[in-house]
Amino acid sequence: MMKNILTLILFFALYVSLIAQQSPKKNYSKLNINCKTCHTCDVPTKTDPCLVTCPRDKMTTVYQSADKTPETIVLDQLVNSYGPVYFPHKAHAQMAEMGGGCESCHHHNTSGPILKCSSCHETSRKRGDIGIPDLKAAYHRLCIDCHREWSHNVSCNTCHVPKKDLKNVKDEKAQKKYYSKNYPIILEPSKIVFKTNYEKGNLVTFYHNEHNNKFGLTCTSCHKNESCATCHDLSKNSNTKEKTITVTKSNSDNHKKCSSCHQIENNCSMCHQDKVAEPFNHGKQTGWALNRFHINLSCAACHGEKLPYKKLDTKCISCHKNWNNETFKHSITGLQLNEIHSQLSCEDCHTNNNYSAKTTCNGCHDNYSFPKQVPGKIVGKLN
Amino acid sequence: MSGSSRRDFLKTSALIGAGITGLSISSAKAAPKNILSENRMGVLVDTTVCIGCRQCEWACKEAHDLPAGNIASYENREVFYNMRRPSENALTVVNQYSAGKGSDLPVDVKVQCMHCDHPACVSACIVGALSKEENGSVIWDTDKCIGCRYCMVACPFQIPAFQYNKALDPKIMKCDFCFERTKEGKLPACVEICPVEALTYGPRTELISIAKDRIKRDPDRYIDHIYGEKEAGGTAWMYLGNQEFAKLDFPEPGDKPAVGVSESIQHGIFAYFVPPVSLYALLGGIMWINKHRKSSDEEEK
Repeated sequence: MMKNILTLILFFALYVSLIAQQSPKKNYSKLNINCKTCHTCDVPTKTDPCLVTCPRDKMTTVYQSADKTPETIVLDQLVNSYGPVYFPHKAHAQMAEMGGGCESCHHHNTSGPILKCSSCHETSRKRGDIGIPDLKAAYHRLCIDCHREWSHNVSCNTCHVPKKDLKNVKDEKAQKKYYSKNYPIILEPSKIVFKTNYEKGNLVTFYHNEHNNKFGLTCTSCHKNESCATCHDLSKNSNTKEKTITVTKSNSDNHKKCSSCHQIENNCSMCHQDKVAEPFNHGKQTGWALNRFHINLSCAACHGEKLPYKKLDTKCISCHKNWNNETFKHSITGLQLNEIHSQLSCEDCHTNNNYSAKTTCNGCHDNYSFPKQVPGKIVGKLN
Repeated sequence: MSGSSRRDFLKTSALIGAGITGLSISSAKAAPKNILSENRMGVLVDTTVCIGCRQCEWACKEAHDLPAGNIASYENREVFYNMRRPSENALTVVNQYSAGKGSDLPVDVKVQCMHCDHPACVSACIVGALSKEENGSVIWDTDKCIGCRYCMVACPFQIPAFQYNKALDPKIMKCDFCFERTKEGKLPACVEICPVEALTYGPRTELISIAKDRIKRDPDRYIDHIYGEKEAGGTAWMYLGNQEFAKLDFPEPGDKPAVGVSESIQHGIFAYFVPPVSLYALLGGIMWINKHRKSSDEEEK
């Protein structure tokens, strides 16, 4: 009997241990997760799972915003006849946001921390894996293609300072200055005339800077995945403020940039005209000229972000809702009200809330009129 | 009388023929060194990576004791206005061509000896001065060279150059795959200096798989063709590009070794000594007929 019980216990123990060994494990390789989310190497093994360091929110990854990246990175691993290269990282990271982002340089990086270039690219050209370029080549390949696009040369001295010249430029600040001489100016044309093949109006005039200022646009709002030479080019005259471009690209490509903000369907004449268009003039186009304060505002400041813009009336109070005789500083109009007048309500002089019309003094005074009689002191140009 | 003399003539010519055939067999034993090693090295030139800095030109001259000048002078882009060929003063040159697919940048192509797997120059060299070495390089022995310049004619890539302007001891000049440097374990000078590693030095078989991998991974960047993998029977130097190689002034020698052409001409002329013997036999025959006619004419008189 005892023997039977013992045998049963033994079988039970064996069964349990077998079950325990076969406990269902999550098969991560079948889950919809990129392997590189957790592993740094291509073939993780049991002995070397090469897991990424955690927590991920505390490390620099390829999903970092450009503004949070280091300003300058010193590349000094291969210092030979040239000094170290002071690489303006943040500036390049910001430019990369117009294209492939961090991964345009930090390619094949895991979603874990940013890997050093030298963790894949060997420093020696005589090496085992010739399928991957060596470190020198990797650096140069990343830099040179863009740099020769705008500089039109492959001179070493664009990025490198020969060691013999380094004696004079010892500190980092001076070195940065040395490099800055090679930076290309951003070519920002104020006016571009596109020659198109649209019959009913072949010319499209685009006021580049005006568009940027008025609509509060940054470079990345419109420029994406373009050649660096579009904006930087040493061979082009930086003073060219006006240029004419004959459009050769396909129709949809041309319209893409405009149509992201503008309603373009059945609205061709908004841009396509027979002659070169004048810059936007609020007074001419809407009948309400902008004064010296309004002219500096972006369109959205009054009209709101949403397109098409809502129409506004000319009443100040429509926008300046908190203005009254106490909060409004009348002196900015060029007229400082005296004590008596400053206590009046606005409508006493500006009838019907119409501030562009002539003021009336008849409410209190007989035979008084502005500007013959002034309810205070003229302190500036009236408008 | 005349019959016996003809028999004599044929006898002698047959003897001479046999003698020379025997000679040619013995000389075949001393054929030029022509090794096609499994592990022969090569270089993969990626023309889409090359930036045309021309530092390889400078390094090559330095390594071969040719007047190289200042390296900074190689930054001059104006040389690209003209198409250049390797010469006795520059064993490698870089030419620039208009952009291919996938890029607006010009394409730069380095030109030098391709180091054929079946080199026509080695086959054409009548003194065995040229040889294909175990490491893949095609080199020449200046002591043996007699300056016949057959190699220049035989080369399907028109690479060997001749020091025409040297009155005494002119030499055949071409890329030697830095034979002396690689023997010491160094990289070829051009490969070593290339700032972007457009030139990858390694075993030829490995380079082919690397090249195929690059084409597979980036089909927008490359055309599906490794120039030199099969051209002229295969070459040690191979090229990747983003446009047809004919547009980059690469010759189209076909996939068969160029040796076939030069050897078939040479061997055709001298094959088993039959053509020369038959030529002399024909000439002899004409002579004999003429002589016979002359004597019969005289007899008639």
